[in-house]
Amino acid sequence: MKFSKKRASTKQEIPTSSMPDIVFMLLLFFMVTTTLREVDVLVSFKLPEAKAVEKIENKRLVSYLWVGKDSRVQINDNLIKIEEVKNIMYGKRQELPNVIVSLRIDRSIDMGFVTDIQQELRKAYCLRINYSTTVKI
Amino acid sequence: MALIKKKKILGAAIPTGSMADIAFLLLLFFLVATVIDVDTGIGLTLPEFIEDAETVPVSKDRMAALLINENGDVLLDGNVISIPQIRTNLKPRIESKIELDSKKKLIVSVKTDRKTNYNRYIQALDQVKLSYFEVRDEYSESKFGRKFINLSKEEQDDVKEKIPIIISLAEPEAVKK
Repeated sequence: MKFSKKRASTKQEIPTSSMPDIVFMLLLFFMVTTTLREVDVLVSFKLPEAKAVEKIENKRLVSYLWVGKDSRVQINDNLIKIEEVKNIMYGKRQELPNVIVSLRIDRSIDMGFVTDIQQELRKAYCLRINYSTTVKI
Repeated sequence: MALIKKKKILGAAIPTGSMADIAFLLLLFFLVATVIDVDTGIGLTLPEFIEDAETVPVSKDRMAALLINENGDVLLDGNVISIPQIRTNLKPRIESKIELDSKKKLIVSVKTDRKTNYNRYIQALDQVKLSYFEVRDEYSESKFGRKFINLSKEEQDDVKEKIPIIISLAEPEAVKK
């Protein structure tokens, strides 16, 4: 008697014809979600940590202001003087009336400096601010 | 005599075998280039800038005066406390004012010195926010049986009206001049 192994007659192949479609879908998703306009940050900073944080839902409203360890201030792509904050932010507010200013301030900065910036923002009527922090776990 | 060259017409098809590879490469590029960082932080609304702002007297029991001095000490109504204690002190005071009308809610006044460290200030502000969030959560649980974040928009507004977050940023002395 001869025993022969039975082989399944079905093909053992994964259909790959729809692979490009699936990948293109993924690609499209990432293309839509990507924000390529990244600003070069010229200052070095370490954000403070906090627990009671909120997420900013609408990224398009956010405008950033960096303050580095050495108290240098950056808005957009340039380092600026603190007196210039008012004019720049006033211009931004003209474009986006309900702009949220995200303050990315180094943790070692003195409050006096932060207050000066806040005073400038108040003069520019940018009243919605957000102290950027990392989430403490 | 026929001078027209005859071309053999092959099946005019674009080879699609490498399509997946190309798409994968593109996908990889966007995966690497994407920065999915959600902005997190402590939100605040600054008061409007008015020259010679009027000062309105506020009754003592409405106010919780929080002072963070240049050494990093935290003083709540003049008593030195540690940072985690801010929450345990503020929570009962917020809770006691839930049922009062909107002009009698607690105001937390945060004041700093010009030399106060920013990190210290954020830690204190975080505690204040946290105590408000916890009170909101507890109130929502007792009233609606769900956490604040899971409530509908109307219910959230209702809780927000009951427990508004009022944080007043006092200017450091030197700014006034």
